[in-house]
Amino acid sequence: MRSETKNLFKGLGFISPWLIGFSAFTLLPISLSLYYSFCNYPLIQKPVFVGLANYRGLMHDSIFWTANYNTFIYAILALPAGLFIALALALFLNVRIRGQAIYRTLIFLPSLIPAVASAMLWLWLFNSKLGLVNFVLRGLGMKDPPGWLTDVRWALPSLVIISFWGVGNTVIIFLAGLQDVPSELFEAADLDGASKLQTLRHVTLPSISPVIFFNLIMGIIGTLQVFVLPFIMTQGGPGRATYLYTEYMYDNAFGYLKMGYCSAMAWLQLLVVLALTGIAFWSSRRWVHYQDR
Amino acid sequence: MKAIKWSFILLIVVATAGLLAFGPRANESLPKDRVVIDYWEKWTGNEEAQMRVIVDDFNNTVGAQKGIYVRYVSSSTINQKTLVATAGGVPPDIAGLFDVNLVQFASMGALEPLEDMARERGITASYYKPVYWNGCNYNGHLWALISTPTVVALHYNTRIFHENAAALRAAGLDPDRAPQTIDELDAYARVLTTREPGGRVIRAGFLPMEPNWYVNYTCYWFGGSFWDAQTRRFTLTSPPVVKSYEWIQSYASWLGKDAMSDFRNGVGNFDSPQNAFLAGTVAMEMQGPFLANFIYNRKPSMSTVLWTKDVEMKKSPAERLRNYEWAVAPFPTAVPGLKDVAYCGFDVLAIPRDSKHKKEAFEFIAYVNRQDVMEKLNKLHCKNSPLAKVSDDFLNNHPNPYIRVFERLARSPHAQTVPQIPIMPEVVDDLNSLSQRVSLLQITPQQGLAELQVRLQAQYDEFARQQRARGSTAY
Repeated sequence: MRSETKNLFKGLGFISPWLIGFSAFTLLPISLSLYYSFCNYPLIQKPVFVGLANYRGLMHDSIFWTANYNTFIYAILALPAGLFIALALALFLNVRIRGQAIYRTLIFLPSLIPAVASAMLWLWLFNSKLGLVNFVLRGLGMKDPPGWLTDVRWALPSLVIISFWGVGNTVIIFLAGLQDVPSELFEAADLDGASKLQTLRHVTLPSISPVIFFNLIMGIIGTLQVFVLPFIMTQGGPGRATYLYTEYMYDNAFGYLKMGYCSAMAWLQLLVVLALTGIAFWSSRRWVHYQDR
Repeated sequence: MKAIKWSFILLIVVATAGLLAFGPRANESLPKDRVVIDYWEKWTGNEEAQMRVIVDDFNNTVGAQKGIYVRYVSSSTINQKTLVATAGGVPPDIAGLFDVNLVQFASMGALEPLEDMARERGITASYYKPVYWNGCNYNGHLWALISTPTVVALHYNTRIFHENAAALRAAGLDPDRAPQTIDELDAYARVLTTREPGGRVIRAGFLPMEPNWYVNYTCYWFGGSFWDAQTRRFTLTSPPVVKSYEWIQSYASWLGKDAMSDFRNGVGNFDSPQNAFLAGTVAMEMQGPFLANFIYNRKPSMSTVLWTKDVEMKKSPAERLRNYEWAVAPFPTAVPGLKDVAYCGFDVLAIPRDSKHKKEAFEFIAYVNRQDVMEKLNKLHCKNSPLAKVSDDFLNNHPNPYIRVFERLARSPHAQTVPQIPIMPEVVDDLNSLSQRVSLLQITPQQGLAELQVRLQAQYDEFARQQRARGSTAY
């Protein structure tokens, strides 16, 4: 056997555990879910091919559109604000001040708390009668603070606010990017008489644009798939005000025994995420600057 | 460097060996000479402990004689886990399902029919109260037997009634009895509701949404139902159903939806001293007989006014009632002359399809359904009995002094269970959402019910069509 072929087989042999695992636990389920999206499949009965019936059903499903709308609003609110807050915190943590390590730890710690524990914590913080948030607001003179999770107008914004609790991971990534900016650029800007704001706008942000882009992509994927917090805290209420896409998928799969319908929803979600990611990649040509290009 | 590396490796090896030798072991050692059957059940806490008493009794008696050992496994989201396990071909031998999942699972062939095994044991229609027997039968088969039933009634705080006796009498109401019609209930609720000067509700006389466990079945007390089993059509837009939702919305209207939301937000968990009824922030509520257990555990002062429990249990049934500052009566209806309407829920023991030990599993289910065992379990759980025959000991020594009221309601010709709809979980979610939106004044009952009528009927029709396409003749 030629040595190249030998080497190929050797390499395949070494990565075979991963290949087998990927095929069995990722590729096969994904392929099956595509097939099931064209089937009526209650999970405890065999799948029966029904063509595009699931996709047609989704288009006429009012709850599907409600879940889509809620998820869209959540993403519109949570993603840009989350990126802004994470970047602001990273800029703050990048400044050499006393206790920098402590601040970094404090800001990162909440992202280590399990989601369920965070949900229970925030349920009490946002309790309109007994919660700390309204206690502070009443102390500041607000007579009728919001009902937060039980108020239709505030339930979804409440979930958005809670999402900022876990920006620690994004902050760390931004911080790494900030520390990678060549100091010569800052020196040059300083020599040219640029203000802090001008330096931020014309030096810092373009330099870390690849990191912003990465966090944007991860944020698009994450916000469109949010599940744990609304599932635990509001169960989609009040009046389906926080009923998000992934929760409706879950209910269809395990509550209503419509695995085919759920699979169709999953593939539609994939297409939406791909489309948004594609748009982000297309737009990145204008505003993302890589250092080696 | 080498020393550090080898120290690290040695540490891992020693830790691994230690864990293997002395690490955690399973609590339960299974007998080798018996057939082990896995029983998955939803209960935790006290209810789990009480069911384990029954399981232990079986294992020590009938199980020992017949070579069967029941392994109780407490499992959250029992319906989903049973579903996935059944689909994967590894179901438990017994699943403790909710009533809303029974017909859903049965309609898709996920459960084993039990009528033959039940008949061999003498468990037939005459053995059960009709409402519960009918609830376990669907499309000509018996799909499960009951572990614990419930039936709901009006619970009212007699201390609050007496403290407000003058105000009640001024409104033409009797503080010494429960309301007997829906209009009277509303009148009592208005008198007993108290607010701060700013409008915040301190105590609600009654709230349809507190707790909201049975709100979907409110139409029963208005003389209707949202499902016609004969025609297999939803009747969500029928006048009784519309009236029931208008009644639910009326509380948001006169209390104020924001005040009501704010009030409900301050109410604690059911199993806590902040439970609205226990805390006295709600004067009346619809609930099952098990509430007595929770009151005794979380706020015993409400159930030991004159005597301790062991002294009380020696008193006559009538005298026992003096020991409580709460009482029970049938929930009032909106239809003149219609009495003793009740919603009867239940938990079941079912055998999933592909269970490996069906006969042995049914031995345990039959054991639980023995009159003495059923009464023991339901005394522990503080619930009524699903069986037609009930002993005097059960009635006289039940922890709930009002058990006779619940028993009477469960035998009533107007007792109803959850409608037998194969897509019931979807119906429940949609109705829950509707009742929330109605309570928040987001939608009128007419509009919401009209939308649901179209949506749910289409969902059911699609389900029936799919089942016919699979060869089912039942739809």
